[in-house]
Amino acid sequence: MEPSSQPQPAMGVAAGGSQVYPASAYPPAATVAPPAVASAGLQSVQPFPANPAHMSAQHQIVYQQAQQFHQQLQQQQQQQLQQFWVERMTEIEATADFRNHNLPLARIKKIMKADEDVRMISAEAPVVFAKACEIFILELTLRSWMHTEENKRRTLQKNDIAAAITRTDIYDFLVDIVPRDEMKDDGIGLPRPGLPPMGAPADAYPYYYMPQQQVPGPGMVYGAQQGHPVTYLWQDPQEQQEQAPEEQQSLHERD
Amino acid sequence: MDSSSFLPAAGAENGSAAGGANNGGAAQQHAAPAIREQDRLMPIANVIRIMRRVLPAHAKISDDAKETIQECVSEYISFITGEANERCQREQRKTITAEDVLWAMSRLGFDDYVEPLGAYLHRYREFEGDARGVGLVPGAAPSRGGDHHPHSMSPAAMLKSRGPVSGAAMLPHHHHHHDMQMHAAMYGGTAVPPPAGPPHHGGFLMPHPQGSSHYLPYAYEPTYGGEHAMAAYYGGAAYAPGNGGSGDGSGSGGGGGSASHTPQGSGGLEHPHPFAYK
Repeated sequence: MEPSSQPQPAMGVAAGGSQVYPASAYPPAATVAPPAVASAGLQSVQPFPANPAHMSAQHQIVYQQAQQFHQQLQQQQQQQLQQFWVERMTEIEATADFRNHNLPLARIKKIMKADEDVRMISAEAPVVFAKACEIFILELTLRSWMHTEENKRRTLQKNDIAAAITRTDIYDFLVDIVPRDEMKDDGIGLPRPGLPPMGAPADAYPYYYMPQQQVPGPGMVYGAQQGHPVTYLWQDPQEQQEQAPEEQQSLHERD
Repeated sequence: MDSSSFLPAAGAENGSAAGGANNGGAAQQHAAPAIREQDRLMPIANVIRIMRRVLPAHAKISDDAKETIQECVSEYISFITGEANERCQREQRKTITAEDVLWAMSRLGFDDYVEPLGAYLHRYREFEGDARGVGLVPGAAPSRGGDHHPHSMSPAAMLKSRGPVSGAAMLPHHHHHHDMQMHAAMYGGTAVPPPAGPPHHGGFLMPHPQGSSHYLPYAYEPTYGGEHAMAAYYGGAAYAPGNGGSGDGSGSGGGGGSASHTPQGSGGLEHPHPFAYK
């Protein structure tokens, strides 16, 4: 229940954190307002009043395509989680070795007894904890990797874990472990990977192409560079290297 | 490794009933978390190995991500343990059991974990039961879990009060023997063991059948424990489980715990709860 309902608000939170990307992809009104207020002098403002009906139709198409994309993404992630739990049950039913644990029982017991209120611990408690922690690591890693994939990266980073913690209610107790900077970085990081794909595969992904026309591309790129020059330079080569395999993966996923 | 580490920890918990050496162990045990920062986290190699099982082959993990997961796991253990311990304190119990851990997970939102972990615990107990059937770990197995404290306590008390009658009871019906042991433990806690009451009353209240494989191996251990009981009542109770659990550190520790509870009177409060679990 909780996992199925969780992705939707989580996506909302993630999208809310990133002001540029969702604004260009979601509501038409949101797309019009910020540019007009922020940069009245730019030439990009003029096309809006010139073709209001045409823009409205384009916005609808973009919105529908983005909506479909996100729905498919959520469905995929939910299926991944369901498969995850089925695999855990199958794995446990097949367990034959109860002598060797993936995590040391002595260490678990020490962590339990770090709480001075804890007195005695039965021998079975660390055994159950060893398995519980294994499942916990697997689930947290899986949810973090989902965020890594959304950003088209292959390296699981701390901000991916931060995103997973933010999106999942049962991980609330971990909020203090991940600094707020990681949360902010997550919001800022989301549109960054999206920039190169917007330009390069524009023909392949029409709904990415439309926002670029309506939003001042040069200004955005310039702003991104100013904000995070090192990060941007680091990500750009990675995106170029991974472009071909990602396209294949995307096509495969769509099938 | 695990066995040796459990023994001093259990001994430390029973410092009041044991010698100075155990008290020293207690001091060391409590000081460990503060001294060694490494002990606060799970080994990073184990953590990485588990992470990779759910990631694609081409995935990479940054160093800060590895460290973050380590921190998250320790926080998870403390989070669940805190809730489980609160339940123990509310119910005036001192030992955190596997059931307490599962209950805490359910209460804190980790409902998905309860079913697979329940299955795992069930299979683990089957595994332990098979090991118990071999007869090599008869003394240790019952005391591994907090629920079995009365079991390891009973033989000494029984033999102390009525050697010949206990011997007669052991031969024909193991079932009755077990019940009388449980009941004798309760009376032992109150320090007033009536000779006639225990057998009949225990038979009615606690119809807990034991595997027939336990009969023969178990028949010998009480006798050995009895000899120690004759020398010194509490001392014998403390030593008997140690002998039985010589092959398993946790068994010895558990037995010691049982011995220390009875004289203090806390055993009386502790014992009823294991019955409830059955």
